[in-house]
Amino acid sequence: MIYLDHAAATPVSSKVFEAMKPYFSDEFFNPSSPYLPAKKVAAEYEAAKGVIAHAIGAKGSDIVITAGATEANNLAFTVLNTELIFCSGPRRSRPSPRGERANSAMGALRNAPSQNINSVLYLVTEHDSVRNVAKQYGGQEIKVLANGLVDMADLKSKITDETMLISVSLANNEIGVIQPLAEIGALVREVRMDRLKRDIKTPIYLHSDASQALNLLDINVARLGVDFLTLNAAKVYGPKGVGALYVSHEVKLQPLTTGGGQERGLRSGTENVPGVIGFATAVEEAKKHLSSNRKKYSEYRKILLDELQGYELINKKHTLDNFVVLCYNGIDAERLIFLLEEQGVYVATGAACAASKGEKSHVLKAIGLSDTQIAGSLRITFGETNTPEQIHEAARIINAAVQLERERIGNDD
Amino acid sequence: MMTKTMPLGDGSLAPVVTGLAPSSSVVTSGSPSRHRFQSSAPTVFVGMSGGVDSSVAAMLLVEQGYDVTGVYMKNWSQDLPGMKCPWADDLADAKRVAVKLGIPFEVWDFEKEYREKVVEYMLAEFKKGNTPNPDIMCNQEIKFKLFFEKAMERGADFIATGHYARTGVTDDFCRGGSGAWQGEDERQNPCGDRGFGRAPEQKLSDRTPVLVRAVDENKDQTYFLYRISDEALARTLFPIGDMLKPEVKKLAEEKGLHNAYKKESMGVCFVGEVGMKDFLKEYIDTKPGEIRRVEDDKVLGVHEGAVFYTIGQRHGLYLDGEKGTVNDGLPYYVVKKDIAKNIVYVSKNLNDGNLWVDELELKELLFRSGPRPAGPSPRAAGANSRAAALRNAPSQNKSSSIQVRLRHRAPLIPAEFDGKKLKFASKIKRPASGQSAVIYAGEICLGGGFIA
Repeated sequence: MIYLDHAAATPVSSKVFEAMKPYFSDEFFNPSSPYLPAKKVAAEYEAAKGVIAHAIGAKGSDIVITAGATEANNLAFTVLNTELIFCSGPRRSRPSPRGERANSAMGALRNAPSQNINSVLYLVTEHDSVRNVAKQYGGQEIKVLANGLVDMADLKSKITDETMLISVSLANNEIGVIQPLAEIGALVREVRMDRLKRDIKTPIYLHSDASQALNLLDINVARLGVDFLTLNAAKVYGPKGVGALYVSHEVKLQPLTTGGGQERGLRSGTENVPGVIGFATAVEEAKKHLSSNRKKYSEYRKILLDELQGYELINKKHTLDNFVVLCYNGIDAERLIFLLEEQGVYVATGAACAASKGEKSHVLKAIGLSDTQIAGSLRITFGETNTPEQIHEAARIINAAVQLERERIGNDD
Repeated sequence: MMTKTMPLGDGSLAPVVTGLAPSSSVVTSGSPSRHRFQSSAPTVFVGMSGGVDSSVAAMLLVEQGYDVTGVYMKNWSQDLPGMKCPWADDLADAKRVAVKLGIPFEVWDFEKEYREKVVEYMLAEFKKGNTPNPDIMCNQEIKFKLFFEKAMERGADFIATGHYARTGVTDDFCRGGSGAWQGEDERQNPCGDRGFGRAPEQKLSDRTPVLVRAVDENKDQTYFLYRISDEALARTLFPIGDMLKPEVKKLAEEKGLHNAYKKESMGVCFVGEVGMKDFLKEYIDTKPGEIRRVEDDKVLGVHEGAVFYTIGQRHGLYLDGEKGTVNDGLPYYVVKKDIAKNIVYVSKNLNDGNLWVDELELKELLFRSGPRPAGPSPRAAGANSRAAALRNAPSQNKSSSIQVRLRHRAPLIPAEFDGKKLKFASKIKRPASGQSAVIYAGEICLGGGFIA
């Protein structure tokens, strides 16, 4: 097997797996229990959160553990509910038809659209877990340039005194493009200062989904100027179903679930101790090998681009080192996936998510690719399971599959 | 078995399997012969659903040397509350097989037409208090009409599906002669050289296609196909019609088709596991109404809307009468519906006259062209059109050689048909109105109609 889809999922590393094991059995206690062994688990849990937070320049108390990045993204958007419900001014929501639910997150969410049409801006290439929640709040899209980078002029022109939340991922999940987040952070600070001067009380926040980037970029929340940052264990050799949201300590969120008040009341439910221990171990590993991994993946990328034939490279610059997005014009990349699968080579089309819904990738569309280019695009993402030999072999197999398809449709060029 | 090639109207060749014995009227051809075409292979568009049956059908066609294109018909993609429509997964399964077979693959979008012709029809029927079968309508309006027409426009010689059914052909020479052949093994079919002696000079389109039950009696799907047109049937291949389901699965496994292990889809595709009732709730506005006991009109409870209930149904009734009198542990059955007044009548009496009948009136009768049991004279039955076929329906003839199927996979029941009503020797449990009664003479599907 040659697995080239590490942006979709990574295996749990053996180190992570070993670290998690005791917490399933011996150290199974509920961190909220009063006796000593439970207190020990609680302390280890908090220490693990500290490790995760530290990796992005934050404190353990700044992060909320969630069941993955999707939940973290959804949680970040609840800042709009708290603002809409508790703030005065023209943004106050009208009495809702579902009044009895107005205080629950879902109720507020349902009532959110239409009256707050100007409060959310999100990058057009965001993952569905941001896009779909942003749309529910009537969010406006920020354009990208042909290279996938945020169109700063478009962003600036769309920020109004109503704008409360801007969401731009640190690195895109389909094309690996790294956004100039610090630049956006600086812009947000400027807007904040300007509002302060003009005595406009509306707050403005910056959220970034960094799921794809934790093991490939050196992340620091202060340097980036973000108020929220989404992390995901499953993309960095940690367990699936574990994520985190960094929340700047000045910001108030509304919980998506209520109950025992765990995670500062923002995420009730008994803590996922093994998951968080695993996440912390994965984060430590990621940080330790960050620069060597980047170097390794750059080499893989070079091998692949040298040896593959007849493609067009989509992510030329500003990209995560482990991402290669290619387009084979005139070829149906989905057919390639099935051909490669027979050879034990696993890759993705533009976005596995978009493909499984039978939709065209909104990301590739946003950077201006034609329908045929989108249909012919492959996403290859390297990771820890790969060796240089595998990359040579993969190049050979992919070339052969492309050739086979070109012959089938009678197009040999 | 002997193989001949037969010229089509357009000059291309179609394989036809013929028997060896000297005389009869029908030749079945579940799958075309294992003949490899040398050049200019006939073109087939095969409907691929992602399931094992249509995957094996496509594979067999490729092995037999046809020029095959796989097509996924996108008829429905909408999710229902609590159910994700699996269309994208099905499509991927179909496409994966097409890639494995090295054939072109396309998606044909019939969603708009499916909604108009199948779903709207179904909802309208339910509103009238009937229990329609959308799969029969889907075959009539989509698979064997729109898909067929589009394939023909694209220059196809044939369409193919993974249905368990077979086709045969008759011609004037032998039609009606000795009646339909009813043997178990089509290879012993006495029809053959005499019937096909003139075949080479004859265009396939001049010959009357016959719909024949599948070899796998347990999987036979002709019940769903009885309303498809002659035009489509004449150019339809059912490559797995002479195979047993276990053989199909085994072949899929042997050939490494991943969907050999796929769970079989049950029921109406777009309703899936949610069930028809939940589907209807999404699309039909209903009001709660009374459940009354048919014997004394006593109100026993409340139902969610009469359209949701089917005659003979015993589940899902909310009865709240006095203990011991109403709920004595014995079930109530729906025996009657008054759609206008939104009343559902129930009874504990399993012998209620509404539940058991010995005759059924049919409407929108459709008799297929071709042979029929001891019908009018062979020559008179010679016309090929449906109108003629209807005229020639065995109206006066109290035929004893017909059998009726009242549900998919239900046993065949001997019956007589007077042109309007089916008559049974003994009482049968009445099927719901709107369901189809499909009429057979031995292996051959003669047609059928909707139960009034």
